[in-house]
Amino acid sequence: MTKLLRPTTLVSILVVLLCVVMAFAPQLIAPGDPLAGTPRDRLLPPSAEHLFGTDSLGRDVFTRVVHGAWLSLAAATLAVGIGGLVGGAIGLLCGAARGRVGTAIDFVVMRFVDVLIAVPGILLALIVVATLGFGPWSIALGVGLGAAGSFARIMRAQVLRVRGEEYVEAAAVLGVRPLGVLGRHILPNAARPVLAMAALELGTAVLSVSAISFLGFGVAPPAPEWGSLVSAGRDYIATSWWLTVLPGAVIVGVVLAVTRLARVIGESR
Amino acid sequence: MTRAGTALRLVAPKVLQFAFVVWATYTVTFLLVRVLPGDPVLAALAVQSGDATTVDPEQLAALREQAGLDGSLLEQYLAQLGALLTGDLGTSLATGRTVVDMIAGVVPGSLAVAGLALVIGVLTSVVLAFLASIAPWRWLRDLLVQLPPLGVAVPAFVTGLILISVFSFSLGLLPASGSRSGDSVILPAVTLAFPVGAIFFQVFITAIREAEASGYVFTAEAKGLGRAAVFGRHVLRNALLPSVTSIGLLIGYLAGGTAVVETVFSREGIGRLVVSAVLARDVSVIQGVIIVVAVVYALAALLVDLSYPLIDPRLRPGKAAPKPAAPSTFSIAPEADALTSSTTDPQNGAAK
Repeated sequence: MTKLLRPTTLVSILVVLLCVVMAFAPQLIAPGDPLAGTPRDRLLPPSAEHLFGTDSLGRDVFTRVVHGAWLSLAAATLAVGIGGLVGGAIGLLCGAARGRVGTAIDFVVMRFVDVLIAVPGILLALIVVATLGFGPWSIALGVGLGAAGSFARIMRAQVLRVRGEEYVEAAAVLGVRPLGVLGRHILPNAARPVLAMAALELGTAVLSVSAISFLGFGVAPPAPEWGSLVSAGRDYIATSWWLTVLPGAVIVGVVLAVTRLARVIGESR
Repeated sequence: MTRAGTALRLVAPKVLQFAFVVWATYTVTFLLVRVLPGDPVLAALAVQSGDATTVDPEQLAALREQAGLDGSLLEQYLAQLGALLTGDLGTSLATGRTVVDMIAGVVPGSLAVAGLALVIGVLTSVVLAFLASIAPWRWLRDLLVQLPPLGVAVPAFVTGLILISVFSFSLGLLPASGSRSGDSVILPAVTLAFPVGAIFFQVFITAIREAEASGYVFTAEAKGLGRAAVFGRHVLRNALLPSVTSIGLLIGYLAGGTAVVETVFSREGIGRLVVSAVLARDVSVIQGVIIVVAVVYALAALLVDLSYPLIDPRLRPGKAAPKPAAPSTFSIAPEADALTSSTTDPQNGAAK
């Protein structure tokens, strides 16, 4: 419990809570319209009125960042969800099959998982985006499939570890059916490292999703998204630094907070 | 057992592993492209001719054949695999050029950036790790260890744009874009060096901590060796192996990172090729790049594997000492730490 009270952890929790509010109720933080601009106020530097300044169309950058949180974070969360489900299922089955009927299957599948980990995630995501079409949801699928390998590996390692524990053997001896052992004993005890992994991957996914959006394969222009906000500020980098630096700083802050929490989840036992 | 036989027994499985990685990568990308809904040929045509046009069936069939996308799935799979064995990665749907040509044309530019980034990243993290281990002030040591998460968390496109705005626009020292002049490689390389250095630093510092906790360092300190001597002679050499293992990981990271960095700095290269291929929905080019990256990755893994005996005498064949299992290059370094945490220090023990 004391670990939760460390200042960096507290700040991280605060940032994540802020993200949740930004994603689900952006009006609470930025009541303005993210799409409406005042051409008279174009490219204003940050001030009390416009916290993050304004862009080339006179739109308030802070409002756009807050309203862009939904797409960025939802796509990243979906990616981790997909990766966790697909990878977790593969790892669970491989770990459970090993030593019974499927040692050979386990070996072959895990070598494919190695390859999935070795191929750069962003390239995998890009080939998915090119096949499916552009948009935040195909990015999420691509990034998720890229993350599936890591989930499969850690889930399998955990299942193998827990399988050797006495309470699992006891349950098997007592006549609990294999699926019951898997669901009631192995899965809950293998969950923590997988959760820590999920938090870590969420940070990576926020980075990947925003990078692919930055490249221009995300949401269509007027809608705000973190990566495309930075991309839009690119043309004004010489004169209007706030267009790239401030949305970029928000991404950094969120990733740092999530990574920090991943470490806390991983180490508190 | 003859020398040649021993060498063969050592090398053959690694070569087999190399072939497997390339085959599996091809299979994974093939499945991805075919299982996902959407016809790559239709998509590429739609981008080329605008959305409103109807597609001429003959043109479609011709393009399909040219790209090796005709026939049943199994036929396509085997035909492309056969072509792959002869070094043929297929034909681009958008440009009609062979993928091998397109990739070969842009490799040097990317290689320069990635190579320089690797050198800068690794050198910087070695220096920082040295400082983090021997700095006399505790606050500095603690601060340095906190750096890596920051290096990974800052997106490359943000780092790149900030570097451009400072060094190109404000100071006017380095070019902001293009690849014509020699010094245009510096900013992209520095941008990539941040995350790469951060990852390497993390692996390296873990290995150093592991070595520092071992018995031979305790002995060396008890003998009265200075901090720098202990670090250079005992800690550094034992921390080398897991760190070398992580180079494979870094190559994957570099290959992925070029997509963003080359876009930010408008440089010709593999990453730019991929980005324009995605824009043109040109799946065969992306698939080709992924396979080339896998080949490079597997080659690096092969070289790293084969270099273990050179780095660590304990891994040389024919030594009577109990042989620890060589860490697989696929595994991230912490798993390989078992090797360095053994309490004997044969590299230096014999010299005393």
